Amino acid sequence: MNTIVTIAGLGILSMLSEIFHFKKQLFVLILLGLAAAIGISVMEWDTAYSYYNHMVLIDNYAIAFSVLLMSVTLLWFLMSQSYFKSESSMEAHAAIILFALCGAICMTCFSDLSMLFIGLEILSISMYVLCGSDKLNKRSNESAMKYFMMGAFATGFLLFGIALIYGVVGSFNLTDIATYTGQNVNNLPMIFYAGIVLLLVGLFFKVSAAPFHFWAPDVYDGAPTVITAFMATVVKTAAFAAFYRLFATCFSSVFTFWIDIIAIVAALTMLAGNILAVYQTSVKRMLAYSSVAHAGYILMALAAVSQSSKGAIFLYLIAYSLSTLGVFAVLNIIHEKKLSDDVSVFNGLAKSNPLAAAMISICMLSMAGIPPMAGFFGKYYIFLAALNSGFTWLVLMAVLSSLIGVFYYFRIVMAMYTGKNETTAFEIKGLPLFFLVLSGVLSVIIGLGTNFIVNLL
Amino acid sequence: MPFSYSFYILSALSVISALFVVFSKKPVHSVLYLIFCFFTIAGHYLLLNAQFLFAVHLIVYAGAIMVLFLYTIMFINMNKEMEPHKSNLAKAGAVVAGGVLLLVVMAALKGAETIPLQAATEKNTGMVENLGMVLYNKYALPFEVASVLFLSAMVGAVLLSKKELD
Repeated sequence: MNTIVTIAGLGILSMLSEIFHFKKQLFVLILLGLAAAIGISVMEWDTAYSYYNHMVLIDNYAIAFSVLLMSVTLLWFLMSQSYFKSESSMEAHAAIILFALCGAICMTCFSDLSMLFIGLEILSISMYVLCGSDKLNKRSNESAMKYFMMGAFATGFLLFGIALIYGVVGSFNLTDIATYTGQNVNNLPMIFYAGIVLLLVGLFFKVSAAPFHFWAPDVYDGAPTVITAFMATVVKTAAFAAFYRLFATCFSSVFTFWIDIIAIVAALTMLAGNILAVYQTSVKRMLAYSSVAHAGYILMALAAVSQSSKGAIFLYLIAYSLSTLGVFAVLNIIHEKKLSDDVSVFNGLAKSNPLAAAMISICMLSMAGIPPMAGFFGKYYIFLAALNSGFTWLVLMAVLSSLIGVFYYFRIVMAMYTGKNETTAFEIKGLPLFFLVLSGVLSVIIGLGTNFIVNLL
Repeated sequence: MPFSYSFYILSALSVISALFVVFSKKPVHSVLYLIFCFFTIAGHYLLLNAQFLFAVHLIVYAGAIMVLFLYTIMFINMNKEMEPHKSNLAKAGAVVAGGVLLLVVMAALKGAETIPLQAATEKNTGMVENLGMVLYNKYALPFEVASVLFLSAMVGAVLLSKKELD
């Protein structure tokens, strides 16, 4: 709870910075504030406590995911320092990002559907604005418009689902809904199931799962690169945290109804994301499709709803966020130079900057799921959870689509090491290089300590 | 039973006016029918004994949002020539898709249980006082967090509409 207040306060502070002339110090203040918020959050570990008439429940699950979200945002601020330097209204951008983070944290700790809805809306509305923040760029405008239209539509589905479930249960509270469904498993009215399906549609859209993923590539492609990085990491993490929390607590007694839907959607998402990513020439667009595919793997863990899938989702999101941030730090440099982000832009990087090339390779290998990177263990635990729940066909599909994934991730690695060029048109040095090394090294270190992370939850 | 008669009359009126919104050729007529539709829905709130929602619905939707709609129509100047040409294939596709949706909705409704229509029993449910009690006691936190939502929306609106200083 204190974390939400701290983050919201930090957002207001960044708005005040223009009036009271401390814009120069703002960046450091935000970093310190985020670090403090992480500290506050960690202090609450193991003290599950429910606040304000059970509106939020700060349990270990909520704390783990909020700390992940805040750490990713902290890293994101480091990564996008150059973006903030070039923007004329940096403090407004920072404020919106912090408010979005506040919404994302609400989505990890809600124990009432009204909090879920408000958290989701804070996150979505901030993202609509940030997608269009490159005002003079037509693609950015298109991205914002598309995201806004589709997002508003999906929110409608979600709200309708919440309304139908409220109509049956008479409460927004997660534990009340869980108790009610537990007691009336066999005579739940049809509209309750309709409500679950509508909730699923809304959430599938937010995590960009297969039949509802059409917006993702265009929006990810058109938005400013750093904003795309934020969407691919923070927004996705928050959406999955909310998805698991909602379905594992509320509807666990009717799981036979929804696990098959999620399993089929997961299979479709993995295949669609990976196959379409192969055909992309732009690296940014390829990463957009790959993020759709990653959503499919995480949905697998949701379908295999069990105690171990919680930790598996957490580990997967850590690994995925780290390597995504690393790759996007490089993409950001490329886009700032106004270079095309065709795969060939990476040609010869291994010769001109071997360290950066090695780190990009680690990030790519982690995303592709090659041992011993963190991404491999994320996939491993998810596959294990799915196998334990009897989804053998789903695991086979996932392995197959991972193999397709390896192909396009290796295209970049191959370009770096076997490209003919001696030099590249861009340089990676200073903070971005440090950042890249950080995410590469962390991907390896986390790969070593996966057991600890999975058993944390 | 006067209650159920008024329910059916209101429902029929709202469906008919909603159809007119879609079918009328002139956008201003559509807006007028939409206002009528909002009024009939407000009538439903009254039947459900939700006076506060009734008032808010009229003020916000029939008042503020409608003005916004009219402004938009005024600004974008819709002419016949401006309308994009739709191919027959697209029209046929739309008819098929709509028909399938109709089929699904009908099938879903066929399987649904019917709940007998009841007049609101609790007299004070929809009064402002009770709503305030619930909003500021039980739902105090969502109410406050909603302010973050509005703040970020406002900052966003300023950000997007501010002139770029080049």
